[in-house]
This record gives sequence, C-alpha cells and structure tokens, in this order.
Amino acid sequence: MRVDRRWLARAGATIFALALLYPFTALFARIGPWQWGEDVRGPALSSVRVSLLLTAGAMVIIVAIGTPMAAYIARCGTRERLLWQAVLLVPILLPPLALGILLTLAFGSYGTVGAWLEHFGIVMTNSAPAFIITQVYVGIGYYVLGAVAAFDAVPLMLQKQAALLGLAPRKVFLRVTLPLARLGLAVALSIAWVRAIGEFGAVVVTAYYPSGMPVQLWINLQSFGLPAVMPLLVVFLAAALPLPWLVHVLAQRRRHV
Amino acid sequence: MSWPNADVMFKAQIIKKRRDIKVNVSLELDKGSSLGLFGASGAGKSTVLACIAGIEEPDDGSVKLGDLQFFPPSLPLHKRPIGYLTQEPGLFPHLRVSENVSFGIPKHLAAEKEHCHWIETLRERLQLGPLWHAPASLISGGQARRVGLARMLARKPPLVLLDEPFAGLDRQLVRELIDDLIFWSRTLGFSMIAVDHQAEVLKRLCPEQALVLENGQIVQRGGWDELYGTPASPLLQSLLTPL
Repeated sequence: MRVDRRWLARAGATIFALALLYPFTALFARIGPWQWGEDVRGPALSSVRVSLLLTAGAMVIIVAIGTPMAAYIARCGTRERLLWQAVLLVPILLPPLALGILLTLAFGSYGTVGAWLEHFGIVMTNSAPAFIITQVYVGIGYYVLGAVAAFDAVPLMLQKQAALLGLAPRKVFLRVTLPLARLGLAVALSIAWVRAIGEFGAVVVTAYYPSGMPVQLWINLQSFGLPAVMPLLVVFLAAALPLPWLVHVLAQRRRHV
Repeated sequence: MSWPNADVMFKAQIIKKRRDIKVNVSLELDKGSSLGLFGASGAGKSTVLACIAGIEEPDDGSVKLGDLQFFPPSLPLHKRPIGYLTQEPGLFPHLRVSENVSFGIPKHLAAEKEHCHWIETLRERLQLGPLWHAPASLISGGQARRVGLARMLARKPPLVLLDEPFAGLDRQLVRELIDDLIFWSRTLGFSMIAVDHQAEVLKRLCPEQALVLENGQIVQRGGWDELYGTPASPLLQSLLTPL
C-alpha cells in the first residue's frame, strides 16, 4: 500500500504539535475546583491590565529606538555589524533573574541613572517605569535582531532605484524600505511582545508591584495554590496570544498574494 | 519637470578596478545622441553604466553632465538627473502599476494638469491601461519592462542609461520597446547610453555610434558600418557574426 508522503509529513507535524501542547493537558488535572472568587479575580484582572498596558508602552519604546538602530545595523559592514549583534545578545543571553538584579542596581536609588531619575520623581523600583524599562531590556534584543533580518531582506537595488528616481534617503526609507520590511518587523515585534509579556525572572526583581500576569501567577500559586493559578493561566493565554497570532495571520495572507 | 543643465554634453572617464579586470573607459555624448556599449559578457560594460548612475563608485576619473559634477566627489543618487533601466526593472512590489509609474514625481507636481496629462500619455503609448491598477508584483516580466520604462520616462531625464533592458524578452516585444525608446528619445530629446551583448539590438537602438570594450578597455569606437567592416579584434568579429 502506498502512503501519500504529504500525509506522512502531516502526521509528523501533528505528533510534534501534540508533544508541544502536551503540558497544557495539565489544565484538566484533578486539582480541585478552580478559584475565581473576588479575592482572586480582582488582582488577576488588574494584572491583565498592567501587563497589556505597560507591555504596549514598552513596545512603543522598543519600536521607536529599535527600528532606526536595526536600519543602521543593516547598512553596517560585517565587522561593525557583528559588534552590534554581540551587544544585542548580551541581555538576551543573561538569565532573567540576573538581568533583573542588574537593572535594579543600575536604575535603583544607588545607581547613577537611578539617583538622577529620582531627582525628577521617577522611581525605578516597583513602579510602572521600572516595569516598562525591564520589558524594554528583555524584548529589544529580539526585536532589533529580527528587524535587521527584515531590512536585510529588502533588495538593495530597489532602494537604489528609488534614490535614482529622485528620493532622498529618508524618503527611500519611508516609501520603500519600511513598507517592504513591515511584515518582518511585525514578526520581530510579535516575538518581542511574547518574550516581554511572559517575562517573570527579571520583572519579579524590578517590579513586583504593579504586578503583571506572570508575577500574579506566582502570587496566586504562593497564596492560594494551583486552583487559583489555572484560571489566570487561561486569561493570560487569551490576553497575550491574539496580537502575535494576528501578525502571523497577516504574514501568511501576504505570502499568498 | 525641468532639470538644470539639461541641454549640455555628457562627459565621463571611468576608472574602476574589479576583481578580474581594470575598467578604463572615457566617453562623450552630445545632447539627444545615443551611444551603444558593446562587448562580450564581463567586458565591463555594466560597470561603466553603474559608475555613471552612482550604483558603484569609480576609483578614479570624472563624470559630468554639463556643469553638474557626478564624480568626484560622489553626487548622491537622488541628485543625478538620469534614468536607469536594467534587465530587472526593479518595480516596487508593494505598489500598484500606476503608483510605480508616478513614483519619481514630487507630490507638489503630481496634481498639476500638465503632469497628469504626461502620465496619461505614457499610459496610452506604452499600453499600460489594462494593468494600471494591478499590483506590480502580479504582472508578467514583459509588462514589468514596460512599466519600468514608463516610470523612468515619467521624470523626463536628460540622460538615460540602459543596461540590457530587453534581455529574455521575445523579439516582437523587444522591437516594440526599442521603437518606444527611439520615439521618446526624439520627443523628449534625451541622450542615451545603452549596453547589450546583441549587436543587432544595440545597432537599432543606438544607430549613431558604438564603443567596443574588451577586458575593461576600449578596443574600437565609431559607426556600426566601421565595426562590421573592420572589426578591431577576432573576438569582436566573432561577436558580430550571426549564429
């Protein structure tokens, strides 16, 4: 009997997907009834708000700083590019807890920048700015590395052609480079988003308050046990997944044009 | 669109060291005239055009259109009043055909009646009507060449550089495009430097004069009759012989 190879590949992909999603079967584990009373629901919904709003704020900063940086790196020679890429890898490679400790020391009252910011009333521990700055450090490396790849994928000849049609470099970037790189940039942003919104290790050190979803999961586990974790986990997936998934839907649609 | 110094002579000396050869070419061109750069693949023809356009930077020499100095120092690409068309027309795939054609026209001019009429003329003459609103990524190779030509002509450049723009097209389409280019060069009065490795294409496009390159050096320059009558090298003779 001859088996269609496509079906074999599909079966392999299904086994892979099942293995990847297997841990989520624990949502049906017999841990007793899930807790979603007022004492759990209030802080949980507050943590959703904190995570979505402050992570969105961090993404704005990441895009504003990361996009020009990536555009610059994409035009660098090999040696300089490798240097910048090494710098970007540092916060990514660092264990999140270590990054959190370093951020607290650097931006807290004892750090140079932290002390200076406190003069202006900006407290960089257990505050919204602390939460945002941590998310920026956690996510910007992923965004910039992805954005560099997106800019690299735009044919240089198209950009030169646009210049030969009379467009100054800034206009070439806005009218050709950016539109052609936008899907790659969106995917890079979705990865940064996923990475930042799920961050626990660094955020738990720098911004235990205001608690985002990952920290609230930890608080629920400590205070109420597993029955209070599971509903928040579902809320977390429902809140964090749509944006990056939508980006992939758009990318897929574009691929088939 | 009006260009400064559009009525003047083009003069260039290009010295460019490539990995395999050293290109050393000097050429001059009067307003409205055409020059065909002919030679075997790898002779340095495209390098000369790329250096004039600013895609590549010469190691030495000078490039000048009237009193507008292209090199040295290197004039930014967007300040060079040239049209540059290659084998790959380089359409912007995220834009429609109409947006590609009017891409190089500044916004403050785009709405002017005169420019709208000019774009309409290009659309009719180059038979772009049925494609006008199509995404540039969805048109055929032959159609893309027409759009590339229209986009280049839309700015009415005083100097046009053509780097094998008809490669891979059927003979009928090549004939049509050459006729279009000749028509527009007479109408607009632009000068033209074209590169091709097919003598018959180049002869038809640039009937006045040709310049033959071998290993980056000029081996012959003159009219086509001269080239066919007394080719300067066995290689040139071989290139001019029909298959």
